[in-house]
Amino acid sequence: MEHLILRDLDIENLKDISVYEKHGGYGAFRKAVKELTPDQVTDAVKASGLRGRGGAGFPAGVKWSFLPKGVFPRYLVVNADESEPGTFKDRQIMERNAHQVIEGIAIASYAIQCNHAFIYIRGEFPYAADCLERAIVEAEQRGYLGANIFETNYQLQITVHRGAGAYICGEETALLESMEGKLGQPRVKPPFPASVGLYNKPTVINNVETLANVPAIIERGAEWYAKIGTPKSTGPKVFCLSGHVNRPGNYEAAFGSISFRDLIYDLGGGIRGNKKLKAILPAGASGPMVSPLVNPEVLDVKLDYEALAPFGSTLGSASVIVMDEDTCIVWAAKKMTHFFKNESCGKCTPCREGTYWLLKMLERIDDGVGTSADIDLLTNVATQIQGRTLCPLGDFATSPVMGSVKLFRDEYERHIQEHGCWARGK
Amino acid sequence: MPKVIVDNKLTKVPNGTLVVEAAKRVGIEIPVFCYHPKLQPVGMCRMCLVEVGTPKRGKDGQIEKDAQGNDAIAWMPKLQAACTTVVSDGMVIRTDTNQVADARRGILEFLLTSHPLDCPVCDKGGECPLQNLTMAFGPGQSRFPAESKFHNEKRVPLGDLIMLDRERCIQCSRCIRFQDEIADDHVLGFNARGRGLEIVSLSNPAFDSKYSGNTIDICPVGALTSRDFRLSARVWEVKDYPSVCAHCSVGCNILIGERDHEIKRIVPRENSAVNEIWTCDKGRFAHHFAFAPDRLTTPLIRRNGKLEVGSWNDALNLVAQKFAEAKSDVGGLGGDRAANEDLFLFQKLFRETLGSNNVGHRVGWSASNAGAELVRVYGAGVGTILGALDKSVTALVLGADPEEEQPVIRLRLTRSARAFGATIITANPRVTKLAMHAKQSIVYNYGTEAYFLLGVIRVILDERLEVRDFVDTRVTNLDAFKKSLDPFTVERCAQIAHVKPEKIRDAARTIAQSPNLLILFGREAMASMQNDDAVASSIAALLLITGHIGRANNGVVALYPHNNSHGALDFDLTSKNKSASRAMYVMACDPASDGDFIKPDFLVVQDLFLTETAQIADVVLPAQSFAERDGTFTNTERRVQLFRAALKPVGASKPDWWIVSEIAKRLGAKWNYQNASQVMDEIATTVPQYAGISYTALAENVKMPRAPYGQGNPSDEPTDIAMGDLENVSSGMQWASVAERDGAMKFELTWSEPSQQSSVNSQQYRLAVARSLYDRGTLISKTAIIQPRVPAPYIEINSLDAEELGIADGARVRVLFDARVIEVNARVDGHVPPSVVLMPNNLDGTAALPMGARVKIEKV
Repeated sequence: MEHLILRDLDIENLKDISVYEKHGGYGAFRKAVKELTPDQVTDAVKASGLRGRGGAGFPAGVKWSFLPKGVFPRYLVVNADESEPGTFKDRQIMERNAHQVIEGIAIASYAIQCNHAFIYIRGEFPYAADCLERAIVEAEQRGYLGANIFETNYQLQITVHRGAGAYICGEETALLESMEGKLGQPRVKPPFPASVGLYNKPTVINNVETLANVPAIIERGAEWYAKIGTPKSTGPKVFCLSGHVNRPGNYEAAFGSISFRDLIYDLGGGIRGNKKLKAILPAGASGPMVSPLVNPEVLDVKLDYEALAPFGSTLGSASVIVMDEDTCIVWAAKKMTHFFKNESCGKCTPCREGTYWLLKMLERIDDGVGTSADIDLLTNVATQIQGRTLCPLGDFATSPVMGSVKLFRDEYERHIQEHGCWARGK
Repeated sequence: MPKVIVDNKLTKVPNGTLVVEAAKRVGIEIPVFCYHPKLQPVGMCRMCLVEVGTPKRGKDGQIEKDAQGNDAIAWMPKLQAACTTVVSDGMVIRTDTNQVADARRGILEFLLTSHPLDCPVCDKGGECPLQNLTMAFGPGQSRFPAESKFHNEKRVPLGDLIMLDRERCIQCSRCIRFQDEIADDHVLGFNARGRGLEIVSLSNPAFDSKYSGNTIDICPVGALTSRDFRLSARVWEVKDYPSVCAHCSVGCNILIGERDHEIKRIVPRENSAVNEIWTCDKGRFAHHFAFAPDRLTTPLIRRNGKLEVGSWNDALNLVAQKFAEAKSDVGGLGGDRAANEDLFLFQKLFRETLGSNNVGHRVGWSASNAGAELVRVYGAGVGTILGALDKSVTALVLGADPEEEQPVIRLRLTRSARAFGATIITANPRVTKLAMHAKQSIVYNYGTEAYFLLGVIRVILDERLEVRDFVDTRVTNLDAFKKSLDPFTVERCAQIAHVKPEKIRDAARTIAQSPNLLILFGREAMASMQNDDAVASSIAALLLITGHIGRANNGVVALYPHNNSHGALDFDLTSKNKSASRAMYVMACDPASDGDFIKPDFLVVQDLFLTETAQIADVVLPAQSFAERDGTFTNTERRVQLFRAALKPVGASKPDWWIVSEIAKRLGAKWNYQNASQVMDEIATTVPQYAGISYTALAENVKMPRAPYGQGNPSDEPTDIAMGDLENVSSGMQWASVAERDGAMKFELTWSEPSQQSSVNSQQYRLAVARSLYDRGTLISKTAIIQPRVPAPYIEINSLDAEELGIADGARVRVLFDARVIEVNARVDGHVPPSVVLMPNNLDGTAALPMGARVKIEKV
């Protein structure tokens, strides 16, 4: 199958602008600027059904149309702060297909009439940032960026801004705070960034992968694109496969075209050492885990944004982490909770105090000094966080606990009864 | 106005009202920690979560009905923060459900997991919102094991005045937001993240703000404590007495917290007209003078060249005898820190009993009373609230540096500009902090304020922007005034003032187009080149041609230096005291320390301390501080405010009014004042402006509750952030200006020719004399912890001049006067224009600096 996003797998040296151009590069941008009005571009993206690939799945074209009319300047901010455990798709796209990202940014900027776009890139991605900066320079040299693009009045500048290592800065309003030079903490919404965003101006924030879809939509048409995938989840998706599989990596497939079984056993070459599959984290640490041991049918649902709802989980940004039969679930939940405790920004009480408390309890249970009351306390404290935090991170932070206790309560009980972990020795 | 229902109670609230404020309107207090009505909401603590629903609308946009025929409600799936949710029409809010109670219990349990629970040794204990809300809504027991507790630093000096306990902090950011939004000193911030999130000072020196103490009041836990009050008393042992700050002329309302006859602490008392809920650090911390060990406790009489302890009777008899002997050669000097009652009787003693008009004050302004007369006639209308000037008001702040001299007025003007849209124009010979919030900031050549004002007037008249109706019916002498103004073209005024003509024109147009105009003038406008008559007549002319007199938000405010400068001027203590040679009576001031005092044959000094003047006196009489007695001060806005005795008298000290009265009686006067209140009754019948003022009337308005009591919030003032209105309640009574009292009165434009200022040669600099908030004065020197905040003597110099002289920032320089040399540190910071240097005159060894003097600067 032809790759639309991971085109670097089909085309050698795609990151060079001449190669990218040879394969139609910047044609979509030219078409947009020369032949379409900004509203027509937005309408095309709306019609394509393209949904945000950052995890929330919000329709991209609809987001663009939220900007208040007549307020300028307005900004496009690209969320390249890919920090969810198990997510590494944007990194590959930026490092190996940077021009497609730049072209997507350029088209989106034109659609919303933004003259200065910013890429907020995770600080731990220096190479990807270098690739983007190189691509920007090349694009400027060819006249794709700068003033009078394609002999029109449209002008665009793109700036790469490197983050300083905070998970929370992937949350869009914390990202804006960080870009403005402040401490990365989420803002109260409303107002939403569409009306009060970067430097208090109307702002669209899109994920890297989302924007990488845009050139093809403009080039080949919304109708063509909408036929890929399912009616509600259109287009291709990059699945990040990691954990106990033989061939971890990024796999591109149309929404609704593959199941976990296809992804893990076919594309991923099966479980390492032919072990049994115990649990899958479909959305990194932020979504509750699913398990074929509890719900065998989960392996065969065709994956799209809504497919995992019946199992109490979500696809998120499709960062699929696979855990085999030897994995201690309590340890895994502790490890992820430790991550959230470290990455909580501390702004709101339930997340700041709750993640700290959850970790203390999980450490207790994992160390073999937990009591049977701890399990209910664990879920109770997690419930006390849910729905009461300022931003979604608080809810995410309860996923490891809520998901694992729901599916593997017996394992928690065994830790308590046996005063430690049988799997890793007490 | 949206209609909302809170717990089945219907109310109407203005657009933009927050749910937490809407609930207050129906008497429901939603518990909060991070929310504060004076600060922008942030939704951090999540304590205020409530159920919120809105009318359910069908596809046709109509509100659907439920089975009972009531409006159907679409409830939001999650609880909403009442502090960040803005009401909409038909919104329904529930605060009394199990779900809400569960959320509150959960948030409190979370907050307490990391809290040290050291209430028994915490200053906040007894007035702590965390304690109170835990009692009201919290779980009785925590499920969090104590050994899992997160520990953090407990004694972190956040600055000279504030101690931070990082363990007690609940990360509500009130202190940070106060500094950013109210104080405008961006010196606090968060560091790190998650459970490690902590408050840090970002400035050097640490917590560099004159308003830092306010963060103690608004801290909802015991994280920020006063390094002065800390661990010295439990709050329930401290008794609060309503008082008025005795430092600057703002007159912040305060409570004196007394225990064991000492002041334990001072906290602001809410008065939305004067200080809202704030006070500056000087007012809060510099109270130790009142019970300092070196206070005078007995009368002293000089015998054989030495001051010895004497009885009141001996001392008073001696004074009376000497005054009688001196006949007309007797003079009086009253300080503007004394109360109205003291100053009134002081001048009465001289004028009536001694028959001498030789009685003066030490306001520290220029020689004439032009400013005082200006205020008497055109004073800002009653009802003017400097902290709530809206976009219809332009405030021209002339020759003043309120950040150093009237800090809370600077804070409130800034707020008016930022929160309510008032237009501020600053005009100064240098850049002040207030200028940062000014729409226009004009820096004129030192001593040329009159030319700037004449330029503005000229533009208004030339462009026919004057208010015709008003000028035609109420103003006389316009033609003659215009004729005198003829040589003063805008270009000429601009040239002399060193201001671009366009800037003068812009300012003039802004002023002319503004529906309301306030002119606030300070010491530097009135104390310069013998031009104060020209400045005063120009200010009057500007107000008259634009019709800005006689009503609220219009007229003049004189930004005086001290707590009762206004009172001193109101009782006509002219500052032109011809020093007497036979006998002098010095009350509440220290002329000898200024160096130009010649001791008469007989000198009596009445003070709290053995001042330099007292050391050479023949009789020293121990007075009481403001904390030991009743009295009134008149603040810089002409507001008469009452303060009550909080401490027992120190030693045998007596109130000033009593001492004056006893001297008068011994000179044959039939005075019989039993208390300060009776003196005020007489003032009310004698001094026209004070008619109707009495202690009974003043006491009625004294608001006792401490501003941030209980919930850590101002009592019941509606929030101005959400509502845009302030309670128009004041304690204190403002007297009406002449223009207010007679709405038909005609006013004459008067001309006073400004004098040309002498030029400086290329080796010379013009000296601008400023004042530092923290000074070397007696009142502040008794408070040890504030001493590090007192700057070493310094001179500010423009960077161009500094470069020419080869002077770096911080370098030691010699300042050469005609007959004096002072060595100080240089500050090169661009706040003063070229050829002007600035020195505060109230630091070590900088007393009595001559305003506008020509000086030379040498590198050491």
